[in-house]
Amino acid sequence: MLSFFSSCSVFLEDGFMYAILAMGYYVSYTILDFPDLTVEGTVLSGGVTYAMLARAGISPWIAILAALFAGAFFGAITGILHVKLHIRPLLCGILVSTALISVNLVVSVLVMGGNIRGEDALTTIPVGRAVPTILNTYPARWLPNDIGGFHVRKIVAFFAVALLFKILLDLFLKTKAGLLLRAVGSNQQFVSMLAQNPGVSKIIGLALGNGFAAVSGALIVQSRGNANQGMGLGMIVIGLASLIIGVSILKNVRRIKPSTMVIIGSVIYQACLAAAAMLGVPTAYNKLIMAVLFTTALVFSDRIKHQKGKDAHA
Amino acid sequence: MLELKNIKKIFNIGTPDETVLFDHFDFTMREGDFVSIIGSNGSGKTTLLNLICGSAYPDEGAVLFKGRDITRLSEYKRARYIGRVFQDPKAGTCSDLTILENMALADHKHGRYGLGVGVNRRHIDRYRSLLETCDMGLENRMNVKVGSLSGGQRQALALVIANMSDIELLILDEHTAALDPRSGEIIMHLTEKLVRQRNLTTLMVTHNLRYALAYGERLVMMHEGTIILDKNGEEKRRTKMDDLLDTFNEISIERGN
Repeated sequence: MLSFFSSCSVFLEDGFMYAILAMGYYVSYTILDFPDLTVEGTVLSGGVTYAMLARAGISPWIAILAALFAGAFFGAITGILHVKLHIRPLLCGILVSTALISVNLVVSVLVMGGNIRGEDALTTIPVGRAVPTILNTYPARWLPNDIGGFHVRKIVAFFAVALLFKILLDLFLKTKAGLLLRAVGSNQQFVSMLAQNPGVSKIIGLALGNGFAAVSGALIVQSRGNANQGMGLGMIVIGLASLIIGVSILKNVRRIKPSTMVIIGSVIYQACLAAAAMLGVPTAYNKLIMAVLFTTALVFSDRIKHQKGKDAHA
Repeated sequence: MLELKNIKKIFNIGTPDETVLFDHFDFTMREGDFVSIIGSNGSGKTTLLNLICGSAYPDEGAVLFKGRDITRLSEYKRARYIGRVFQDPKAGTCSDLTILENMALADHKHGRYGLGVGVNRRHIDRYRSLLETCDMGLENRMNVKVGSLSGGQRQALALVIANMSDIELLILDEHTAALDPRSGEIIMHLTEKLVRQRNLTTLMVTHNLRYALAYGERLVMMHEGTIILDKNGEEKRRTKMDDLLDTFNEISIERGN
């Protein structure tokens, strides 16, 4: 029974942690219709940014904010490549995330005080007990760490961050800039007719999406206790699958905000992985299960039907 | 007000399919004019509109708007003073946004799209009265997503939206062509009402000869990149449908089909 509780605990923590990434995907994929591969790099960039600043003793909240800006910066580069140089969306993401492999590696080595030319430089940044995280500082410290195998503090803290970003996203989408962003994804011509440069909105949207991904990265580092170079792998699938699961399961619920759907989707997705683990499926099969889940979600999602309709009209 | 001077436009430059559409083409419109353009497919009507709106640039020549050279100005910058309604009712509005959100966006055209409130509740009454001019009951469906409206309703909304900001030139790009006859009629009535209200300078491309005769005070017929007929005022009023059909037939005979 204890293992059941701790499994529940893990999927809730992870669900909230990845929900922010998935909300970022909501902006780039659902709103802008831009399949953004940059997140594979920006999740790690966010983690590295957080680890670097937190190890220097800076408040974890400020470090998370810095991670947001780092992710937004790299997301904006993807946007600029697409808008100004007219490179295809998929390629833009591949280019920037490839470049970020080097950037993240170099920064990590420098943070660890190593030599970039050195053969055995350390590339993983540990975040030990002495490093401030949102879990070992106030206000989360007022909460008990663990009740009966349930990591109360971690769940509440990560939920609070996810909720904070959900509220910020909802508020943003109601502003003029937010409406314009939604209009760009729906009808670019319309935005041109409003005397606005549609490219600018796209760049803002991609910056937002990757900023959110980087915040997820910062939380992952705090949860795992280190920032390692392999951290970004599979993030596209996690983000997209959470988004699509959430939206396709909850699409018929009235008066529910997409950001809420995405958070729930993220938790459901992590719960499926946890269930597989509890049934005794070895973790080596995790990525395979992820891909199968994702495919299932895609088949049932409205999005595919929607695009078929679009093509028929064209 | 609007002047196209000595325009040259070539398609597929440097390929075996190279075609010269416009060569030494001139076109002028005065302030307050309502001009209808007709012509067969490939006559250059839509290209003319694209050159005016900035969706395409000429290879030679200049586009002047109120004396200002806008030849190379990008489409979205020209949209400050040029409004356009397209043939496709989907083009002029956003499907994923509600009527209210569409109007709130369009209402803000001359401002900055910053972090202010997107839909300002204080303007709703004004939006409602604008929708009432369409006479389609849209004013009672303001929170409905535009994607669920019919083609005629969407086109009416697109017209209202194009007219919300103080544009100086309205471009109608076969805006009734995708609608059923009844909706087309309604949209043309609405068009005239909106244009008359503000005495808006309007350029309408249409395939409907009857509309071209019934609306506007100047009629232009284009053929293979040249203006072959240009009737204004009294002269236009005396033009009959048969005259237009005769001219069309002459062109076809020339082309050998």
